[in-house]
Amino acid sequence: MSRPGFVLEVDDRTPPMVVHEGLGFRLESFPLGTRVVYPPESIPAVPDVDEAIQHALLNPLDSEPLPALLKAGMRLTIAFDDLSIPLPTMKAPDIRGRIIEAVLTMAAEAGVDDVKLIAANALHRRMTAAELKHIVGERVFRSFYPQGDLYNFDAEDRDELAHLGTTEKGEDIEISKRAAESDLLVYVNVNLVAMDGGHKSVGIGLASYKSLRHHHNAKTMVHSRSFMDHKHSEMHHSAWRMGRIIKDTVKVFQVETTLNNDVFPSPFGFLQKREWEWSVKDQASMLGVRRGLAVAPPKLRHKMFHDLRSVYGLTGVNAGEVEAVHEKTLEKVHAQHSVEVNGQSDVLVMGVPYLGPYNVNSSMNPVLAACMGLGYYFNSYRGQPVVRKGGAVILYHPLDEGFNQLHHPSYVDFYEEVLAESTDPAVVGEKYEQQFAQDPWYIHLYRTSHAYHGVHPFYMWYWIAHALDHVDEVIWVGGNRKAAARMGFRAATTLQDALEMASGTVGTSPSITYLHNPPHLLADVR
Amino acid sequence: MAGFRLVGQRDTPSVAERLAGQHVLLTGVTGFVGEALLHLMLTEVPDVRVSVLVRPKGSTSGAARTAKLLEKPVFADVVAAAGGVEALIDARVAVVEGDLADVPALPADIDAVVHCAGDVSFDPPVDEGFTTNVIGVRDLLDRIDEAQAASGREIHYVHISTAYVAGRRRGSIPEAPVEHDVDLETELAWGLGQRRAVEDQSRGADLLTKERKKAEKEHSRAGLLTAARATEAARRQWVKDELVRIGTERARSLGWTDCYTFTKAMGERVVERWAAGSTPGAAGPRRASIVRPSIIESALERPHVGWIEGFKMAEPLILAYGRGELPEFPAAPDTIVDIVPVDHVVSAIVAVLAHPPEPGDVGYFHVSSGDRNPLTFNMLYSSVRTYFDHHPFTAGDRGAARLPEWRFPGARSVERLLSTSEKAWKVADYVVGHAPRSDRARELARKLHQQGRRLEFLRRYLDLYMEYATAELRFSDKQTMALFTSLSEEDRATFAFDTSVVDWPRYFIEVHCPAVTAPVRRLDELRALRKKPSGTSLREVGSGGEGIAAFFDMDGTLLSSNVIETYLWVRLRELDGGERLAELGRIASKVPSLVQAERRSRSDFLRGVYREYEGARAADLDAVADEHLTDHILSRLSPDAVRRIREHRAAGHQTVLITGAIRPLTRPLRPLFDHIEAADLAVDERGVCTGFLASSPLVGESRAAWMRSYAAEHHIDMKASFAYADSHSDLPLLEAVGNPVAVRPDVPLYRHARRSHWDVADWASPSGSVRALDPGVRT
Repeated sequence: MSRPGFVLEVDDRTPPMVVHEGLGFRLESFPLGTRVVYPPESIPAVPDVDEAIQHALLNPLDSEPLPALLKAGMRLTIAFDDLSIPLPTMKAPDIRGRIIEAVLTMAAEAGVDDVKLIAANALHRRMTAAELKHIVGERVFRSFYPQGDLYNFDAEDRDELAHLGTTEKGEDIEISKRAAESDLLVYVNVNLVAMDGGHKSVGIGLASYKSLRHHHNAKTMVHSRSFMDHKHSEMHHSAWRMGRIIKDTVKVFQVETTLNNDVFPSPFGFLQKREWEWSVKDQASMLGVRRGLAVAPPKLRHKMFHDLRSVYGLTGVNAGEVEAVHEKTLEKVHAQHSVEVNGQSDVLVMGVPYLGPYNVNSSMNPVLAACMGLGYYFNSYRGQPVVRKGGAVILYHPLDEGFNQLHHPSYVDFYEEVLAESTDPAVVGEKYEQQFAQDPWYIHLYRTSHAYHGVHPFYMWYWIAHALDHVDEVIWVGGNRKAAARMGFRAATTLQDALEMASGTVGTSPSITYLHNPPHLLADVR
Repeated sequence: MAGFRLVGQRDTPSVAERLAGQHVLLTGVTGFVGEALLHLMLTEVPDVRVSVLVRPKGSTSGAARTAKLLEKPVFADVVAAAGGVEALIDARVAVVEGDLADVPALPADIDAVVHCAGDVSFDPPVDEGFTTNVIGVRDLLDRIDEAQAASGREIHYVHISTAYVAGRRRGSIPEAPVEHDVDLETELAWGLGQRRAVEDQSRGADLLTKERKKAEKEHSRAGLLTAARATEAARRQWVKDELVRIGTERARSLGWTDCYTFTKAMGERVVERWAAGSTPGAAGPRRASIVRPSIIESALERPHVGWIEGFKMAEPLILAYGRGELPEFPAAPDTIVDIVPVDHVVSAIVAVLAHPPEPGDVGYFHVSSGDRNPLTFNMLYSSVRTYFDHHPFTAGDRGAARLPEWRFPGARSVERLLSTSEKAWKVADYVVGHAPRSDRARELARKLHQQGRRLEFLRRYLDLYMEYATAELRFSDKQTMALFTSLSEEDRATFAFDTSVVDWPRYFIEVHCPAVTAPVRRLDELRALRKKPSGTSLREVGSGGEGIAAFFDMDGTLLSSNVIETYLWVRLRELDGGERLAELGRIASKVPSLVQAERRSRSDFLRGVYREYEGARAADLDAVADEHLTDHILSRLSPDAVRRIREHRAAGHQTVLITGAIRPLTRPLRPLFDHIEAADLAVDERGVCTGFLASSPLVGESRAAWMRSYAAEHHIDMKASFAYADSHSDLPLLEAVGNPVAVRPDVPLYRHARRSHWDVADWASPSGSVRALDPGVRT
């Protein structure tokens, strides 16, 4: 049995802690009394993946077995999560590919001809052929991609969208026409963290801007507390309302998978161990990696990290009706990520790593870094935020990676023009969202190149709306001052300086909590 | 009228009385001395009528220029007393419209003429020197003869010359004719003929070949017409320089410092002959006085302390010293600088005017200080230094400038220092000009440009002043002093011109330096107020886009890529590992010759690269471009460039892309532009590329020509349009529009942009993009 997560209180025997900061990490000595939240160690993986998949497909929850749903002459669509999960990318073979192969085998046996595979990338960038191949596997790729039966969802292709009506709250539901008009829609997901999956899969992954704008906005996000807890997330409530209507239109067979916390392979293995338990070998590789990172030019560091592939263990696979499946899934996710934390603190410290959902094979620009820290990590709680209302957040990231012009063209303009005017999520949304969402050049790039949709940077900014609303002070340790200032934050050289700067807000001896993340954790704050 | 006697005239009438009722014609009143003289006459000699000979300038008539002159603050009192400028002109200042190049008939009733007009430049082209200083004087004297004949009055001619007509003589210079036996007519004929001769010579094949080769080496990438324009500009400059050089050489060969003093001396000779009555058609000897001031500087008292108009001889040097840019001076510390305040000069002129000599007996008057109240270079230096020590220039953001300490090492070593710096600068300039394009090279070019301007300034002034700085002349002013002492007590106060009263340190520290630095300080303050926000701010694209276009170059301007790189991207797609290496090697071996071609001519270079496409299928090329090059192009696209293009579109402008790249490469950019003009590869009937282009690549001047025809077709106003490009070969493209912008320019274009005050944009290419040449995508 693996050890559960726990909260360490820093005393004078505590060694310096690993804190991630972009393409690197540092060893930080926290003030005595700081609470350090560690995620649980990896829970056991299923012994035989293929057997688990077969079992799930043949014994679904609240649904007939998959073979019973497959008939000759039917229209079958398989949708799957894009490269934004899992993080880091899974070492081949990807679990989605294995499931898709199993589904396709059953479909072939049933004589189904009309099969399309759609990457549910919503307004994310189109994946390259190589990236698609990595997810679905060589065989599936070879059989479907050349004919155009395996493709990225295009949320701007008006002819390929279907409007399914509105929810009782007047929210438009517009998703992929092919998916909506299928006899069966199989969705294959990777439920990396608690926010993924459920009705979010189809309702968001295959939706257009017209549909997404109802929950991807500042107002909804401020009231998603947190979006890692779908029962208390306005965004998920909206997705659930939509999902229930989608369910009436198209039969959805949801396949959800959960992974354990085996994030860092060798030589980065030490990053998922607790510092005081590092072996001589761990210490040696830590020193080696640090030396290497110190002398490597930025491009090489980028390559060192982004070439990293994780050897996740599959902890569960469930199939069937969306909500029933998702409930099972969340049990596993919570078992892997949940850590009980007693009460809030004045200061929350988080290290923003090199990777987030939107910079796979790309660069972590300042907007994405802010979203990773104040969006994902800050919201990684159940109950109440780890930091008290009016407290301070201290983040680590150099904010110096710059923008990838291919993937994030609208981010550059968002940063240069929109943030220069206001950093208030509600204000920027009100004033500029439409303009960016409808810009023909961004739409062109989204559809033909590999660019995130023009409106995407706004979503990043809405993601952090709850954090901005909740805390009074955000300080970046080691962050580029200009970039921090542009986003409305401050930068400090050291943790000591950051605490000094925050003392105006939280006093000179605040209570501090450090989320030792990644590997992923979900703070269950009582 | 009483003649002028030297002594014993204690009870003679005052200057004003002597001049009462006279009509005096002044030339050169728009100049420094003339203006001061007019002021003095109007304020202190009330009963004189003045006529001024003023040249119309452009569409402004002489009368209007005179009115404008009288509106200046120094004339405020006189104007107020007369009841307005027009009243003053009506009552006392008659305007004679005319030019010294073609002297008009003078009013018949004049009693005296004061000729202050003249070219004050030390290095005029030789023909201009003769025209102004000799022909102008001769014609004026002819007109005086006419007036004299018409009215029967004797006219007193006062000629303003310069003390430096003494030329390269040394020691004490008497107030007497300059001794020389130069044949005036021969030199005059020679001098006037030089323009013709030099112009002819400049059109000779030798010179033109040399200049054309130089220009083509520099501009061939921009095109032959650009080179031709540069050649013609160089020829004109050569003519100008040559005329100056010839003049200076001739002057020196005859014992003068430069063409100015030489022609001035010739002018005096004309006056002397006229006075002696030895000119053809002369009725007899006439009255003439020659006043020879030395270096004229700001006023001691009149019209007010420190009054000065424009920059005279010493000011640029004083200002340069104050800015810390004049490290040494080629004079000996004990050499005398002969300076006189302008009010002393004009007072002396009025006194001379009031005391005409006997006909045929020319009066000479040195207005100078060196003989009785010498100012040495060391005194000048320490006074100026003291002034700047107390009142430094502080306009820059670096505090007060460091003042150089002069050691007076002698002319020779200053010259050595300067020529060493010039050589070093030339080497640096050549190196930077040939350096690969980079921010550092551009920064170096900027600094070199600044340094070059400083060196040019030093060279020009040191060359000019070397002669004067080393001239050990003492101008005797005995006659001037005799005239001064002959005046009444009151007149001596009113028309002060005893230069021995000047306290030099006080004059420089309290009068002259504050006066000459004041306008500079005002300008500095204004500049500080206007200080632009940091960063490169381009001018606004404006709105109201009807008929406005924005032309963009592609490689280097919109994105950081080049045709070789894109070629490799296309070709390497099709090859496997070993073949890739072979292809890379083959291309690498061709790079030197391609770089050569690029230096020579952009179109040769493009043709060289496009030859490599021979045998490729055009359809494949399109497919590869769509599938793979989109990423390559878009990831190298500068975000600032895209924003600017979109701003233009938002303003309703037409956006046009002009590129030498092949058309498939421009496909990802189509939505940004209204029109894309790219190169098309020629294909045979099977759709296979022949390795040739369908038409000549659009580079250099052909771009400008294409733009003009495009503009005509689409009713575009090129003056209001914009163009963006990065390299010197795009010069014609940029010059074709009213708002050119150099984007991360190469050094030659950067230099041109600086000189022409064009906007320079720094559109950074994205740094995060993967720059690996190998397009193999990893999984």
